[in-house]
Amino acid sequence: MANRRVLVKRRKSIGNIRKITRTMQLIATARFQAAFNRAVASRPFTEKLAELVGDLARGAEGLDHPLLTTQNPDAPAALLVITSSRGLCGGYNANILRVAQSRIEEWQAATRAHELRVFGKKGIAYFRFRKQAMAEQSTAVGENPRFEQVQPIANALIEDFLAGRVSSVQVAYMRFFSAGRQRPEIVQLLPLEHAAPEATTEEPPERAVEFEIRPEPGRLLSALLPTAVRTRLFQAFLDANVSEQVARMVAMKAATEASGEMIKKLTRDYNRARQTHITMELLDIVGGANALA
Amino acid sequence: MAATFRLSLVTPEREVLGADARFVALPAYDGEIGILAQRAPLLTQLGAGLLRVELADGSKRQIFLSGGFAQMVEDRLTVLAEEALEGEAISRDAARAGLAEAAALPGVAPAEFEKKQQAYDRARALARAATR
Repeated sequence: MANRRVLVKRRKSIGNIRKITRTMQLIATARFQAAFNRAVASRPFTEKLAELVGDLARGAEGLDHPLLTTQNPDAPAALLVITSSRGLCGGYNANILRVAQSRIEEWQAATRAHELRVFGKKGIAYFRFRKQAMAEQSTAVGENPRFEQVQPIANALIEDFLAGRVSSVQVAYMRFFSAGRQRPEIVQLLPLEHAAPEATTEEPPERAVEFEIRPEPGRLLSALLPTAVRTRLFQAFLDANVSEQVARMVAMKAATEASGEMIKKLTRDYNRARQTHITMELLDIVGGANALA
Repeated sequence: MAATFRLSLVTPEREVLGADARFVALPAYDGEIGILAQRAPLLTQLGAGLLRVELADGSKRQIFLSGGFAQMVEDRLTVLAEEALEGEAISRDAARAGLAEAAALPGVAPAEFEKKQQAYDRARALARAATR
């Protein structure tokens, strides 16, 4: 019976798919570990830098810097969207794009000029499909973002911001909290918020230390702040990468489980079909024999 | 035994070194700063150059840094470097590549010129470090 052969074939192909998804799950797990370690390894730098900015701000009151205030309020606001370059990671990209899209619509409703800078193939494909203009599209930062890769992006942003070509820079990405919790978020990168760096460190040690500061605080600050921007953006890319691996891990686990279920069901169907077939043949034989008798 | 202090050297990607040290020479933006235990609190910008450490067990290490900051407070020295190279990575070839890169940068606008200058400084410092 043709039906049975179809069932066997499907079961086989689902078995093959399950092999693939299981392998992808294992790969994602391994990559997740690596990405997670990298993200954690970069935290001390970010935290220490925030502490330094805090120390400096305390040591020299009333410091001001062009990176802290919008240069040209009429310039478009830039939205960076960090997505993955590969699919098969569940709702990962859709979640980020949903958040980004609602921010864009907010801006459109307020008739606020804005521009999009999109990272990752999936985001680019999405905005191209929706026919929304992108000021920049890049796949330069792939898996395992490196600081040297993120640095030029951040530098370009800083330059645009200082030159008044953009009024603010926001980043939409998947923030990583733990293996069980990631959330799409939009954070402001520029202008740097005074309070924000403090918030990342828990209880900055309250020290009444007089620092010897070299070069003078103003110049040190103008060296520190760009670094702070760069590391924050780097952190965002790292977070996005970890979240992507988690999302893929979860999606592939679900796929593997689902194909297991399907194989079970197909096996049952196949057995039933075979049994029906046998019964029918038996009935045929018995019927034939009865007719002869 | 000489007094020691805690040294931690981190880059955005990882912690390169975390150890007790007797002496550290830092490549500050305007020259080298030597640091011993009990130093007064210091906050400084770094330039390109070699960081030399004498660890608590007397062994010495040299790490090439470029760009970053250092903070010394309460006998803890934290060095935040944007780049840290060690051992084989400090070579004349690397310096030569850096020089070529710097030469290829545009240097017309003041900001570009400054960047180019920084790239040159880094490459030259790397060359000096390699020939030591």
